[in-house]
Amino acid sequence: MKDQFSRQSFLGEGSQERLTRLRFGVCGLGGGGSHVVQQLAHVGIGNPVICDPDIAKDVNLNRLIGATVSDVEEERPKTEISKRLVRGLLPEADVVLIPDEWQMQADLLRSCHIIFGCLDGYGERAQLEAFCRRFLIPLIDIGMDVHEMGNSYVISGQVILSTPGEHCMRCYGFITDAKLGEEARLYGAAGANPQVVWPNGVLASTAVGLAINLVCPWNKPVGSTYLEYDGNRHTVTPSNRLGAVAGRPCKHYHPGDVGDPFFALDLSAAA
Amino acid sequence: MKTAFRITAGLLGKIRQDLRRPHPFAAERVGFISARPAVAGPTLSIIAADYHPVADEDYEKDRRVGAMIGPAAIRKALQVAYRGNVSMFHVHMHEHAGAPWFSRVDLTEYPKFVPDFFNVQAGLPHGAILLSHDEITGLLWAAKGRQPQLLDEAIEIGAPLRIFRRA
Repeated sequence: MKDQFSRQSFLGEGSQERLTRLRFGVCGLGGGGSHVVQQLAHVGIGNPVICDPDIAKDVNLNRLIGATVSDVEEERPKTEISKRLVRGLLPEADVVLIPDEWQMQADLLRSCHIIFGCLDGYGERAQLEAFCRRFLIPLIDIGMDVHEMGNSYVISGQVILSTPGEHCMRCYGFITDAKLGEEARLYGAAGANPQVVWPNGVLASTAVGLAINLVCPWNKPVGSTYLEYDGNRHTVTPSNRLGAVAGRPCKHYHPGDVGDPFFALDLSAAA
Repeated sequence: MKTAFRITAGLLGKIRQDLRRPHPFAAERVGFISARPAVAGPTLSIIAADYHPVADEDYEKDRRVGAMIGPAAIRKALQVAYRGNVSMFHVHMHEHAGAPWFSRVDLTEYPKFVPDFFNVQAGLPHGAILLSHDEITGLLWAAKGRQPQLLDEAIEIGAPLRIFRRA
């Protein structure tokens, strides 16, 4: 399989070795997360940590990449489907599965070089961003929504790269106390969100592009950024919020608030 | 257990900028990085929190080495470790690009003061970071009385995301 990655040699000298050794995390295996896992495996990133507590259900089949009818019949965990997908392309991949909420085994995520947040809700996103800031891990958040506007529907979404030391999702106004409060007030009453496969594909592809751009020298990389998806016009454009925060430091995360505040390890025995 | 050091590009830039400043008599500057550890799966991750330059007056005149720091500099660094409940890593820079490597003087001098940090923070790892113009390497002492080990990985978090691995 020596030619498996020959068509992407333009990414730069040493890029494939760099990608092969990269460890990425994916939190949430819905339409977005499953797309991300598939693309990263195609690119050759072979060390994922994949988290999701759910099994495949029939309502997922319209967008869950890699899932089949038999996965639903056999109540297969979404993480197992992702592992099968990765191993099908990278048989030697070191795939770490967390078939649970990501918080339950978060120490496994701390070793990641990049984490993709593919979660529902602002509260979950805020928690994951705080975690990534504490352990200095770039976070790429993606999400989409379908809104009913009169007699029509509007599809929108976002891709946000939140780099420690730079602007965060609160700086961009994507996460606010008001949104968190509203979400908490409606907890349990949100119902099932409409989801379709193609916006997830656009968002996941954009997110993977940002990640590859961070580690391979083929193009000038960008730090924290906020890209908005308009699913009716089929466009992805930089958010106006980028201009509003330019030149101002992030005031939401203190640079010194890092590491494990409960660190306790007998280093004389462990190291 | 593998070891990794993580630092933001912003903090690393600030450190390199400070270390480049000329000193009235020392040939180079040194400083300390405060850090907090975390267990990250099979890896002990050291996460840089802040930089503490050595004050001009805390250098000593010594023609044998590029920079010799006195007891006041060590005492101040020990105070940071004690009060902040942090790991401490001595840092200096070799003026070249590419992978840096510790000099014989570095390897002789570190054991004289790095283990002192275990007197004030016995449960945290301590060590030394060496920079070049564009790369990072480091030594980590896991416990007092233990031999130092080379960091397996150093990660500069920014754009680009740069990962330096032990050769």
